[in-house]
Amino acid sequence: MSKGRVNLKGIYKRFGNFVALKHIDLDIKPVEFFALLGPSGSGKTTTLRMLAGLEPPDEGVFAVDGEDVTYAPPGKRDIAMVFQNYALYPHMTVRDNIAFPLKMDKVPAAEIEPAVVRAAERVHIEHLLHRRPGQLSGGQQQRCALARAIVRQPKLFLLDEPLSNLDAQLRLQTRVELKKLQRSLNVTSIYVTHDQEEAMTLADRMAVFLDGEILQVGTPDEVFNRPRTIAVASFIGSPPMNLLPAKLDGRRLVVDGHVTELPFAPDHPGGDVTMGIRPSHVRIDPDGLPTRLYLSENLGESVLLNLYLGEYLVKVRVASFASAGDDETVPISFEPDAIHLFDTTSGLRIRTAQD
Amino acid sequence: MSLHRRAATRRKVVLMAVAAALLLVWVFPLIWAVIVSFKSESDVLAYPPTVFFEPIGRNYEDALFGDFSILDSLATSAIVSVSTTVLTIVLAVPAAYAFARLKLPAKKSIGFYTLATQMVPPVGLVIPYFLILNKVSMLDTYTGMIIVYLTFSLPFAIWLMVSYMEDIPFEMEEAAFLDKATRWQTLWHIIIPQVRGGIAVTVIFVFLNAWNEFLFAVQLGGNTVRPVTVAMYNFVSVEQTLWAKLSAAALIAMLPVVIIGIAAQKQIVKGLTIGAVKGGGRR
Ligand SMILES: Nc1ncnc2c1ncn2[C@@H]1O[C@H](COP(=O)(O)OP(=O)(O)OP(=O)(O)O)[C@@H](O)[C@H]1O
Ligand SMILES: [Mg+2]
Repeated sequence: MSKGRVNLKGIYKRFGNFVALKHIDLDIKPVEFFALLGPSGSGKTTTLRMLAGLEPPDEGVFAVDGEDVTYAPPGKRDIAMVFQNYALYPHMTVRDNIAFPLKMDKVPAAEIEPAVVRAAERVHIEHLLHRRPGQLSGGQQQRCALARAIVRQPKLFLLDEPLSNLDAQLRLQTRVELKKLQRSLNVTSIYVTHDQEEAMTLADRMAVFLDGEILQVGTPDEVFNRPRTIAVASFIGSPPMNLLPAKLDGRRLVVDGHVTELPFAPDHPGGDVTMGIRPSHVRIDPDGLPTRLYLSENLGESVLLNLYLGEYLVKVRVASFASAGDDETVPISFEPDAIHLFDTTSGLRIRTAQD
Repeated sequence: MSLHRRAATRRKVVLMAVAAALLLVWVFPLIWAVIVSFKSESDVLAYPPTVFFEPIGRNYEDALFGDFSILDSLATSAIVSVSTTVLTIVLAVPAAYAFARLKLPAKKSIGFYTLATQMVPPVGLVIPYFLILNKVSMLDTYTGMIIVYLTFSLPFAIWLMVSYMEDIPFEMEEAAFLDKATRWQTLWHIIIPQVRGGIAVTVIFVFLNAWNEFLFAVQLGGNTVRPVTVAMYNFVSVEQTLWAKLSAAALIAMLPVVIIGIAAQKQIVKGLTIGAVKGGGRR
């Protein structure tokens, strides 16, 4: 019995004249850990609130397990949500907070306490049950909110940037636990984040949002290695890949006069294209394109060079770099099989070696 | 450093002195009333005032059980005040919730009306209310009196409570909805417990206002509904004023006010400041 299949079809949401969501289509599989990734204001929270029934869409259909719940009230959807600010009930103890969904669901009193303890144990706050939210640290509050969400078996589990209020170290630790928890729960989970590392590590699949539209849906691997458009390519990766204008002629790719022989035949008639290459796939090469060093940033494990190729900034990641001073000339070349190609006009990806 | 401390001490002393002087001005009549209430009627009018006298309890006995016993009117006051308070809260809590949360089309104009009711001088309303109650045969009835009190207390209570409810984040409620709570359950389990302080303040103010009310009680009441504020005037007649008994009655009538005042000092101060900011709280 699989449950928790989510379908969104043609969803639009407007706030006055502002279109917050434009034609959102999504298919989320049962038990999947699905991330909504996008910059601030791209409509991730709006999507989540729509799924929760807190903000009905203007157009489109939302179905869970084939049942249309587009306009069903939140309480009828069997959905649990962890809010970004946790939204714990401040006047109740942790125990009562966790028990609240069960009480509202008319679970027999005798079953509530064991269920509460079980949920608390899963997130390691069983020793804090008597406290109030105000007496908890941020991380403990976050766990309490998690426990309240997992205490019943919802069809769908929504999380809105649940880690964003935690400090960096706790965030890493909780990320791991969250992944483990989701696996053991076997509930479809939709996870909103603007942190791509979080999305990459946690999600089975993800949707990349920008300005209320979905740019790409895929596994983290697909999104990272085969960005569907220039927009996705310029967003994913830290720093994202370099995008440079180039000319394509058969297998020959010409960037600023420098020719790279592609190891594959691109599916494109040729002409003006956009070349994408990740910073770690650019090499310092005495026979390469001369660039001007603008700044080198030492990141500890590697060095990030900011180079200017004409007017274009090119970021290059190298293991180490001995600088002869700023404005030094650094020659670069591109690893041919790591090159991404995009049609400059449509912004769409051109099939390359990795595809 | 020590200069600092000395300045601080001086400040404190001055503050205390001013406070004491102000307090004396306010408390003096009360002290006078207490003294008078233990004198015999003849001693009250003696001139120069008798400083040493045999305190007597007769005035209290008379006020409570004498010809003009205020016992019944105390009961009346209690019935009117408690009913007004209970009804106000029962109606104002959901109303304030609606104001704070729902997208009501007439929200702005209703808000203005609410404020306006607090601005109209009560004297201007006595005659219209009299005529209305007369028309519907509700003069001198509990129902009539309580309805009139509600017209003042409800807007005030809603006004006061909205500010408390608006402080509760939306997400709190949305979380409750997702937890399968209904609107009413959300109001009951999530909202009300968090505005308990606000409700306490409202209860106190509404009750005290109703208990202390005189103008409407004297015009719209009568033999059936005669709150203690009105009944006290039985001790004042054309021939004579029974000052000692009047004082005793007044002090008895003040008792609930004083008790509430002491018990709920903190809430009252809070309510006063909110009332001052929002322009409500008077009548
Ligand atoms: N109630 C509302 N009224 C008007 N505009 C809104 C409302 N809610 C959201 N918006 C707008 O819709 C857009 C998307 O908002 P949303 O909260 O979904 O962004 P987000 O992707 O979650 O961003 P963040 O990462 O900052 O949380 C924003 O431009 C926002 O200003
Ligand atoms: Mg958001």
